[in-house]
Amino acid sequence: MRSKRKIRVIISKVGLDGHDRGSKVVAALLREAGMEVVYLGMYQTPEGIVQAAIDEDVDVIGVSYLSGEHLVYTPQIVEEMKENGLDDVLFLVGGSFPPEDIPVMREMGADEVFRGGSLTDSFVNYIRQNVRHQD
Amino acid sequence: MNQKKPAQIDRDQRMATDWEDYLKAYYDKPQSTRTWSGYEVKEIYTPKDRANQVYEKEIGDAGEFPFTRGIHRDMFRGRYWTRREVVGIGSPADTHERAAFCFEQGGSGLNTIADVTYEMGLDPDHPWAQNEVGLTGVNISSMKDMETLVGEIPLDKVSWSLITASPTASATMAQYVAVAQDKGYDIGTLRGSIQNDPIHFRYCGFRPACPLDLSIKLGSDVMEFCTKNMPKWYYTTVNMYDLREQGITAPQEVAFGFGIAMCYMDELLRRGLHIDDFAPRFTFYVSAHIDFFEEIAKIRAARRMWARLMKDRYGAKDPRSMQFRFAVHTAGCSLVPQQPLNNLVRISFEALAAVLGGVQSLHCCSYDEPMCLPTEKGHLQALRTQQIIAYETGVTNVADPLGGSYFVESLTDKLEQEALKIMKQVDEMGGMEEAIRREWLDRQFNEEGVKRQKELDRGDKLVVGVNIFTSEPETSTPLGVQRIPEFSTRQQIEDVKRLKQSRDARKVSEAIRRLRDAAAQGRNTIPAMIEATKAYATTAELLGTVRQVYGYSYDPMNVIESPFS
Repeated sequence: MRSKRKIRVIISKVGLDGHDRGSKVVAALLREAGMEVVYLGMYQTPEGIVQAAIDEDVDVIGVSYLSGEHLVYTPQIVEEMKENGLDDVLFLVGGSFPPEDIPVMREMGADEVFRGGSLTDSFVNYIRQNVRHQD
Repeated sequence: MNQKKPAQIDRDQRMATDWEDYLKAYYDKPQSTRTWSGYEVKEIYTPKDRANQVYEKEIGDAGEFPFTRGIHRDMFRGRYWTRREVVGIGSPADTHERAAFCFEQGGSGLNTIADVTYEMGLDPDHPWAQNEVGLTGVNISSMKDMETLVGEIPLDKVSWSLITASPTASATMAQYVAVAQDKGYDIGTLRGSIQNDPIHFRYCGFRPACPLDLSIKLGSDVMEFCTKNMPKWYYTTVNMYDLREQGITAPQEVAFGFGIAMCYMDELLRRGLHIDDFAPRFTFYVSAHIDFFEEIAKIRAARRMWARLMKDRYGAKDPRSMQFRFAVHTAGCSLVPQQPLNNLVRISFEALAAVLGGVQSLHCCSYDEPMCLPTEKGHLQALRTQQIIAYETGVTNVADPLGGSYFVESLTDKLEQEALKIMKQVDEMGGMEEAIRREWLDRQFNEEGVKRQKELDRGDKLVVGVNIFTSEPETSTPLGVQRIPEFSTRQQIEDVKRLKQSRDARKVSEAIRRLRDAAAQGRNTIPAMIEATKAYATTAELLGTVRQVYGYSYDPMNVIESPFS
């Protein structure tokens, strides 16, 4: 009998943006929801995040932006994920950005985008319902 | 029989539920009777709640110790608070343009904020900087950039607040002084402030740039230099606001902020200065959050606590040392992207609390801050909010109009007691430096942030558009989106590269050597930084040189090496 594998998530910042309250809070809440969270914290690169996702065999990458860098790094992360064959990993974005940019980030390849003011159920349920390789 | 059409049935059903909602709304009442920071309050406050208070001792008139009611006797009759909007966007030229716009519209002070690369002490040509130059503030890499930012603004007339908080504040001070001297000003006439609170920036994403010893060293160098040379300059603004934005409570904001201020003051005392030499130049940056009375009470409590701390613990004699001077930043974290025009209302209440609290200088957030940097329209509306409070509402006529309110005085006492409890806890740990080393402060921030989100999830705290009165997500930003011109970013990178090639290399190397010697010999580094700045040394070069002397990598990101031997 196999025990059900916990959902594994990376939460990360990217670049120099230091607004990490949201990412730390989300990491803590996902842990409380029973997921295994690898918190990479600040000063990460798209390559570094994707490498960590491979090493840690995660189901979800969550990245938080609050400094207007979202349109630069989102396509870079998507590209890295593609190059490394992470088609079955969910890529979620959170943080502060204009609503105009939400469809743009989806178009770029983010699976879902959560703004400030999102309640915990919204992202926990999204992950549970959409994670791609559940046993 | 007359069959109802489906649309009619829908409408009938909707009406039925709407009337249920109506009745619920009609009979609705507050779910929580706690303050934002979690203190239960009573239905009504009476004279009994103030039975033990002696007016002169606990409260006093405005302008009198312990300054609970304000630091000036006449408060706003003497002068309004400084209406000062934070500006920082793209290049020095972009920022100058927006600052000039705020002046044209009646702003009465300048407030420019550094971008993340500048705060980290990286030049724009640094590999980590290239995607981020100018995104969250203004980028200054050399004296030339500071000249562009200043432009024609008269530095002896305009009160300028320079928001650089990390150890980069030492470079900012050097760049500002270098430009002022170059323009022929006596630096003793310069008016304004620099944030210069590197310790707090450890908790705001800048830790690689803010090792604790270097933070205290360079922060105190700025303070000491200004004490001796710039009598009109406020050389530290302890940033309690940024701490509050991590999700902590009102008394934690005060207690943590005072603890950090004491780290610098203790260092200045170790350097042989007297408390009255520098305490009058200390200022604070305070949050005005959404709980109206609690924020006013917090400000009043902070004033009383500071007065007593200075007098009783530090032995200050000069009443100016005992006056808690502060600017307010309305709480960015109280704003949400859902139904964004509501933010204008939140900002108004928060700004009103600041004014009723007796603020010296005010920045109102722009309504669009949860989406992007402030647009010009966003900035204008924030400034107009201040102007409506100042010129229309009449709240400026009387000092501390809420003083003597049974409730507000009682809440002031409560917040003071709670903040003092935390300060005692920090003292018992061996002081704030020790609490920082033990990462006690980190744990406080992490725990409180999670608590705030759970309060929202449970509905213990209500935010319109988030967990009550929600609506379909917006697809656009009502007054447009601020973007950073790509041209500005590229230009900053090209400019610094060109500068490094065109300057007199020997002059720079010699100036850097003198800076290194000053740091190694434990002297104040600011004079040598000013000279190096005049030789066109860059921000990263100034700071990297001092970092190396203290045993840290030249580059906070540990990617590039010092170009100097």
